[in-house]
Amino acid sequence: MLKKTKIIILLVLLMLGGCEQPPPTDSGLPAKIYRHAMDGAPGSLDPAQATSLYAKFIVVNLYDTLYRYKYLARPYQVQPNLAVAMPEVSEDGLQLTIRIKRGVYFIDDPVFEGGIGREIKAKDFVYSIKRHFDPATRAQGAWLWQNRIEGLDLWKTEGSDYDKEVIGLRALDDYTVQITLSRPFPQFVHTLTQGYAAIVSREAVRKYGQMLSNHPVGSGPFRLVSRDSVRAVLAKNHGFRQEPFDLTDEGFDPAKHEKLGIQQLQGKSPPFIDQLEFEFITEDAARWNAFSAGELHFIKVPVSQFDNVLSQRSPLTLSPQYDGMYHFEASPEAGFIYTNFNMADPRIGYHPDQEQNHRNHALRCAMVKAFDWEKRNEIFFYDIGQVFPGIIPPSVPEYDADSDTSYVQRDLKGARELLLANGYDETTLPTLEYGFPNSVTERQIFEQFRNFMTDAGYPASKIRPLIFATYGDYQRAYSQGKVALINSSWTMDYPDVENNMQLYFGPNAAPGSNSASYNNPDYDRLYKTSAVLNESPRRTQIYREMNQLLMNDCVSITGISRTLLFLWDKETIMKPDRSFLGGYFMRFVDLVDSASSTAP
Amino acid sequence: MSVPYITSRLLYGIPLMLGVTFISFLLMVHFGPDKTYELIGKNPTEEQINEVRQSLGYDQPFLLRYGNYVKELLTLDLGLSDSSGEPVSSILIKTLPISLALVLPGFVLGNLLGMALGLLAAWYRGKWLDKLVMSASVVGMSVSFLVIIISLQILLCTPYGLNLFPVRGWQVHGLGSYFYYVTVPTLALVLVTLGYNTRFYRAIMADEIERDHIRTLRAYGAGPAELLFKHVLKNSLIPVLTRIMFSVPFVVVSGSLLLESYFGIPGIGLVTFNAITSGDQPILKAVVGLTGVLFVLALTINDMLYSVVDPRVSKS
Repeated sequence: MLKKTKIIILLVLLMLGGCEQPPPTDSGLPAKIYRHAMDGAPGSLDPAQATSLYAKFIVVNLYDTLYRYKYLARPYQVQPNLAVAMPEVSEDGLQLTIRIKRGVYFIDDPVFEGGIGREIKAKDFVYSIKRHFDPATRAQGAWLWQNRIEGLDLWKTEGSDYDKEVIGLRALDDYTVQITLSRPFPQFVHTLTQGYAAIVSREAVRKYGQMLSNHPVGSGPFRLVSRDSVRAVLAKNHGFRQEPFDLTDEGFDPAKHEKLGIQQLQGKSPPFIDQLEFEFITEDAARWNAFSAGELHFIKVPVSQFDNVLSQRSPLTLSPQYDGMYHFEASPEAGFIYTNFNMADPRIGYHPDQEQNHRNHALRCAMVKAFDWEKRNEIFFYDIGQVFPGIIPPSVPEYDADSDTSYVQRDLKGARELLLANGYDETTLPTLEYGFPNSVTERQIFEQFRNFMTDAGYPASKIRPLIFATYGDYQRAYSQGKVALINSSWTMDYPDVENNMQLYFGPNAAPGSNSASYNNPDYDRLYKTSAVLNESPRRTQIYREMNQLLMNDCVSITGISRTLLFLWDKETIMKPDRSFLGGYFMRFVDLVDSASSTAP
Repeated sequence: MSVPYITSRLLYGIPLMLGVTFISFLLMVHFGPDKTYELIGKNPTEEQINEVRQSLGYDQPFLLRYGNYVKELLTLDLGLSDSSGEPVSSILIKTLPISLALVLPGFVLGNLLGMALGLLAAWYRGKWLDKLVMSASVVGMSVSFLVIIISLQILLCTPYGLNLFPVRGWQVHGLGSYFYYVTVPTLALVLVTLGYNTRFYRAIMADEIERDHIRTLRAYGAGPAELLFKHVLKNSLIPVLTRIMFSVPFVVVSGSLLLESYFGIPGIGLVTFNAITSGDQPILKAVVGLTGVLFVLALTINDMLYSVVDPRVSKS
C-alpha cells in the first residue's frame, strides 16, 4: 500500500515538473504571453515569399514596412509606420518622395559588425523592393510593382545587378526614398503596407539566403524565437522604437472600442506583450478544444461551432453561456467567392462563330440564373454571408446597396426558357469540367453546384468533377485553360476595389489573375481610365459600369463574402483583424495583469 | 549468425533501395503535386513561371534529377525545404525524435497489451472471455481514430471533462513534462491499435495452442503460465517479430499524423503530410529515402532475429 502511494506521489511530482512558470520579465512580473490560433500554417517567412495570409501575419511583426493601416479606423486608413509622413507626391502623381525615421535599428544578429543591429537606411528599402525582381529570390510580390516603377523591369532584364541603380527607385540620401512611377498608380501607397514591402538587410540575405525564412533579421516589434510545423514563437523586440499609442491617431471610437478596454493603452509604447505565440491548427475540433481549455486567447470560430456559439443569426448574437467569457466580433471578409466561366473555352466562352458565341452567352446566363445563392449561403456559410451582384462587395465604399440584385436571384424558369430558346437540351448541352482541389467541403460545394444545374435541366453526367491534389495543381490546370468552370475565391490585397476590377482586365488573362480570360475592350478601356484615378464619384461610377459589363456578359457566377466570427477572452485587450490590418494589430495586444500567461 | 551473413543481407538491400527510390521518385515527379504555382505571385507571366520551374529543377531531364537525388541521399546533403527554406536534414533531426517519443509508448503498450489479451483469449478459446475480448476488439477497431482523439481531448483536456492534460503542445523539458504531453496521445494510440493487435496475436497464439507439442505438455501437466509464456509465445515469435519489425519504419517515419496534427506536436508525420499536400519535394525525397533505408534495416534485423529465435532459419 505504502509502495503504491509512493508511486502515485512520484507520478504527481513528475507531472508537476512539466508545469513550468513563464520566465519573469525585467520588472519581476510574469511574462505576458499571448497565444493566437491560426487555421493554417505559413510557408516561408522571407518577406519576398510571404504570400499566404498566415505568413503575412507573422512577417509584419518581424519586419518594418514604410506604411501600415490604422489600428481601429474603418474604413481602413493608411498611416506612416517606418516612414515619417505620408509620401510627398508630385503634381503629375508620378513621383513620390518618402522620408524614413532616423534611429531605427535591425535586431542584433551575427550578420552585422559586432553582432549589433545597424540603423535602417533608405537603401535597405530600395534593396528590399529590388529583390522581388531578382529571379534568384523566387519572390512572389513583384506583381505589385511590375510595369509600374520606372526602370525596375528593365533592371531585371539586364541581370538584376544590385549595384546598378534603378531610375525610378532611388535612395536620395540615408533617409529619403524617391520613387518614380511609369504611370499614375493611386494605390501605390497601399502596396507599401504589404508584407512583401517589408525591409530586409542585405547582409542577412547574403548570409542566410533561402534560410532567411528561419533567420529573420528585421526591425519589427517582435523577433523570432522558434518556429516549427505547429507553432511560431516570437519574443518582444526590446529595441523597438518607442512610439506612444495615440487613441486619436489610431481611429479610436469610444462607442465601439471602449468595451474592449483599448483606452487603457493610451500613452504606452507597443509592443505590450512579452511573447507572441502563433498556433497553427488546421483541424476545427482541435482548435476549438484548445480554445475551450483556455490554451488560446483568440480563435476564428469554425463554422461547425456557429450553432453552439450563436444564439441568433440576425442580429448576430453570442450565446449567453459565452457572453460573459469572451469578446465577440463578426467581421465581413475582405474578398468574395465566385465561379468563373473559362471564356477561352469555345464550349462555354468566346466562339469565332457569332451564332455559337451568342448561344454560349445564353448558356452562361442560364447557369447564372440556375445558381441558388440563398442555398449556398445557408448550407456553407451559415446563412450569414453577404450575397451581392458582381465583384464589388459590400465591404468597399463603391458598393451600391440599391443596385439590381436579380443577378444573384435564382430564376429557374428563366434559366430553362433561355436554354430552350437557344436550342439547348440534354443532348446538345456541352460536357463541362468543374475543377476543385481535393477536400470534402470542395466536393460538397461541387455536388451542390451540379444539383443547381440539374434543376435547370442540365444532365448531371455533363458536369464533371476535375479534382486536384493541391491548390497549386488546380491553379496550374485552370491557368492552362483545362477547366471550364473555375470555382475560386479572392482575398483583396488592399482596401481599394481596383484590386478586384483587375481580375477581369484582358491583359491579366490566364495564367494571370483573370482566370476567366475575359476579354472585353470596353471593360479594358474603363479599367485603364479608372486605374489612374483616385477614389472619387467618377471612379465609383466607372467601377459600377464595369461591374455591370461583367454581369451582362455572364462571365462569372458571383458572389458572396463570408462573415467571420472572432472570439477572444476578456483578459485580452485588442481588436483583432484578419483583413488589411492583419498581423499589424499584434503589436497593440495587451493582457490584463492577472492574465499574464502561465505556460502549461 | 556470421559477419558475411549480415553483410550479404545489407548488400541485398542496395538494389532494393535503388528500386524503392527509383519508383518513388518516378511517382513523385509524374504524379506528385507541382510546386510551381504555389511559388509564383499573382499575375505571373510565362517567363516568371519558367523561372520558378527552373529554380525547382523541374526543367531538368528525369534521369539527371534522379541521379542528383541518389547523390543527395549518399552525401546526406538533402537540400532546403521548398516551403520554409529550412535545411531538410535539420527538419528531420528535429522532428524524428519527437515522433519516436510520441509514438513509442503507445506502440509498445499497444503490442504488449494486445499480446496479453491475445494469449488470454486464445487460452480460453470459445469461452465467454474469448468472446468478450474479441467483441471488444471489434468495437475498438470500429471506432474512428478521430472520434477517439476528440473524445479523449474533451474528457481529459478541457473544462467539460477532467481538464488534467493539455489539448496541444510539446514543450518537453524533462520526464514530468514528457508524461504531461504524451499521456493522452498514448491513450488514443493504445485504444485505436489494441483491437487490431489483440485479434492478430490471438489468431497466431490460438494456432500455436492447438499444436501437438502443446497438447503433449498439457498431458504432462504443465501449468498455463509455463505453457503460454515458455512455449506458445516463444514458438509464435516469428510472426510477432515480423509484425513488429515491419511496423517500426512506419512508427519512425510517419509518426502519427493525426496525433501530431490534433495535439499540436511538431513531428515528422505532420511535416511529411504538409510536404505531400504542398509538393515540397526536397522533404518528400528525404522521407522516401529514409523509409527505404529503415525498411532495409528492418528486413536485415528481422532476418537476424529470426535466426536467434529459431536457429533452423540460419541453417536453412
